[in-house]
Amino acid sequence: MLRRGPASGVIIGLVLLSGTPSAFAQARGRQGGPPSPRAAAPVDLTGTWVSVVTEDWRWRMRTPPKGDVTSVPLTEAALKVANAWDPARDAAAGEQCRGYGAPAVMRLPGRLRIGWENDTTLKVETEAGTQTRLFQFVRPQTSGKPSWQGTSIANWEIAGGRRGRGAPRGGSLHVVTANLRPGYLRKNGVPYSASVQLTEYFNVVTDETTSDSWLIVTTIVEDPLYLSVPRYVTSSHFKRDDSNAWTPTPCEAE
Amino acid sequence: MKAVVVAVAILALAAPAAAQVDFSGEWAPRFWEDQPERVPGPELGDYLGIPISDAARLRGDTWDAAIQTQPEWQCRPHSADYIWRGPSNLRISKEVDPVSREITAFHAEWLRSVDRTVYLDGRPRPPSDALHTWAGFSTARWIGDILEVTVTHLKEGYLRRNGLPRSDKATEKEYWIRNGDYLTVASIVHDPVYLTEPFIRTTDYELDLHQQVPPYPCSVVQETDRARGVVPHFLPGSNPFLTEFATRHGLRLEASRGGAATMYPDFRRGPAAAPPARAAGPGAAAPAPAPAAAIQILPVRGNIYVLLGAGGNITVSAGRDGVLLVDAGTPQMADAVLAAVRRLQDGLDLQVPPPGFAAETRSSVADRHVEPPAKPIRYIINTHVHPDHTGGNETLRRAGRTFTGGNVAGTIADAAQGAAILAHEKVLNRMTGPGSGGPAAPFDALPTETYYTSGMKLSHFFNGEGIQLRHQPAAHSDGDTIVYFRGSDVIAAGDVYLTTSYPIVDVERGGTIDGVIDSLNGILDLAIPEFRTEGGTLVIPGHGRISDSADVAYYRDMVTIIRDRIQAMVGKGMTLEQVKAARPTSDYDPRYGATAGPWTTDMFVEAVYRTVGQRATTSW
Repeated sequence: MLRRGPASGVIIGLVLLSGTPSAFAQARGRQGGPPSPRAAAPVDLTGTWVSVVTEDWRWRMRTPPKGDVTSVPLTEAALKVANAWDPARDAAAGEQCRGYGAPAVMRLPGRLRIGWENDTTLKVETEAGTQTRLFQFVRPQTSGKPSWQGTSIANWEIAGGRRGRGAPRGGSLHVVTANLRPGYLRKNGVPYSASVQLTEYFNVVTDETTSDSWLIVTTIVEDPLYLSVPRYVTSSHFKRDDSNAWTPTPCEAE
Repeated sequence: MKAVVVAVAILALAAPAAAQVDFSGEWAPRFWEDQPERVPGPELGDYLGIPISDAARLRGDTWDAAIQTQPEWQCRPHSADYIWRGPSNLRISKEVDPVSREITAFHAEWLRSVDRTVYLDGRPRPPSDALHTWAGFSTARWIGDILEVTVTHLKEGYLRRNGLPRSDKATEKEYWIRNGDYLTVASIVHDPVYLTEPFIRTTDYELDLHQQVPPYPCSVVQETDRARGVVPHFLPGSNPFLTEFATRHGLRLEASRGGAATMYPDFRRGPAAAPPARAAGPGAAAPAPAPAAAIQILPVRGNIYVLLGAGGNITVSAGRDGVLLVDAGTPQMADAVLAAVRRLQDGLDLQVPPPGFAAETRSSVADRHVEPPAKPIRYIINTHVHPDHTGGNETLRRAGRTFTGGNVAGTIADAAQGAAILAHEKVLNRMTGPGSGGPAAPFDALPTETYYTSGMKLSHFFNGEGIQLRHQPAAHSDGDTIVYFRGSDVIAAGDVYLTTSYPIVDVERGGTIDGVIDSLNGILDLAIPEFRTEGGTLVIPGHGRISDSADVAYYRDMVTIIRDRIQAMVGKGMTLEQVKAARPTSDYDPRYGATAGPWTTDMFVEAVYRTVGQRATTSW
């Protein structure tokens, strides 16, 4: 065990100070407590976002052929599962949402609708499969049963490592998701297991050339059973106020 | 308590003025998206999910992979916007200002790449007519922890390396995002020529401490036995391979043809369900246009400069021997050209060291208060007869001087008056004869020294180098001259090479399309790139931006492909109107075409139609 030196009190104080998001000063609650995650958001993720499929088109815009596992670092065990894919069996078993779980759904074509469920929970709705993800900034007491979207714990990553004074100069959303039901990374049965852990980073950039806002989502999937190494891909969405076009679609096994 | 206050103060000072994330390190690519496209490479006819224009699609459809065997393209690297997707490791290093200790630049290098510098020091962007490169010119700023990079001055490249082009008018935004040991780069390309909407792509890398980016020198070899000037391509509608990709992968053919609709989720319900198109965004961030009367001076290399805005470009050699001008601009701009030359001369004089004489013989004290006289304009070379290149002859000649003596000065009273004007003999003939197409030029505007063979040389070094004039028979006109500065390795091409329009073929004055192509191939024969088809021999077009051999090669390819198409139509017996209606230039029109002005696309097509097959080989 390390012995605490005389300066340790100062160091702890500094760590607390340096770890205090500058947003605290501005977004402090009415009772003087820390601001809510909603109030402290260094970046605005809310709105309707349309996915732009300029990558992996053949594996996203349609259900790829059985056995097409291109670009996914699968284990031998995963290959056997992929080659045994049977969408009819999934549908019969009521498991047609296997391809719409959290590790896959941000990569599926469609719109996202992001808004605050409450001051500590960000809600992401998807057209694809009519799914709902809840990003909780306060860890729940219990995780409940495994589900397609699992349990997601979120925190803000403040630009500059939380140093400096004044309002935050941007940041990103970091989300870790577990407690997932086994599902498919791709709709053609490329599997992930119940041991999967998902890490995501949500960034927003605005291209002043066209004033488009882009949501850049990096998805890192770790699965000791079915992936030989962590797999990470990034998906792009641009902000579009076309809520009238919101067309949720049910899960389809094929 | 005191210690805490001090420590807090230190922390506050340590907070950076702007967020600075360290991107330096060795980054390994991961191919977990688009792997087949990246390694081994895309299939022919795969335009999925790219918001290409019809022009880009036709470029892709007529692209022949054999074009890569041309010497100009064997060592071409991926451009800044594509290199992220290339099959290569990445090394990023940083430059730090020793005083502020802020990051002032990042350097990114990949296998087969040129050095890519991203400046964070606030330096201004070069003029729009400066050289374009594979890496382009990149500046950046911090947006929180994200580095936003703006790229301009790109050479033509490709959106996908199966023939889908990205023009030299494109700009790019990049967003570098570091999440722990992962690097994500989002690239958004704006191309007013070949894209109908912004094209976003993301690429992911992982930190790899054991990685090396090896050197990758490239040597051009003769890969195939092909006649000079042949450019591999498919005539429109003749590429038999375009449907193979869709067939092989069971895709709808309309999807494989690409376009903005294919990148939206609604495309799965049919193209009509796609959201309305968005603007592609402006192209190259061109600086505000210069006032009409202003002349822009752009350094080229060594003593060589180019004056822009005088009508045609004017290439200038300015140094201790005086001033030599290649072309003279329009008459209206002659005074402004003179002022620009004077600015150059003044700048040079400031750099001239004082003479090395003793104080009691030549006082250097008094001299310091008197501006020395400018070195005179001694030579003007006319690349051809057109008034946007010869119109300033009279004014500029009169402002200059010819050094002569002996029996020449004694016999010819005005031999020393004014600068000498050099040109091919046919320029003089056309300025004085019935073929001039206008009133006879003033006597002082006429060439004073002409040549009638394949070329001539200035008889002595000028500003430290030899200068050659080479005749280009039946090209832009029948009297074209290309000027080669041998020491600086700069070619003033006149109007046989332009970056602003299709070649202007002055059929009435002896121009032919095959002569233009021959001249372009001649320039390429002469030019040697510095590294990877970039830099090295620089080429000043008659109109447009500073170029190198790659730019000329792109232009040569374009002109040759269009010539071949029209030649094939002529071979089928098509009339001029039928050829025009077939739009043989449609894939290049957004870049070079015009429907109004002095040189329209229709005029170009007609000139090609009328002169194709009239070869006039240059003796290089």
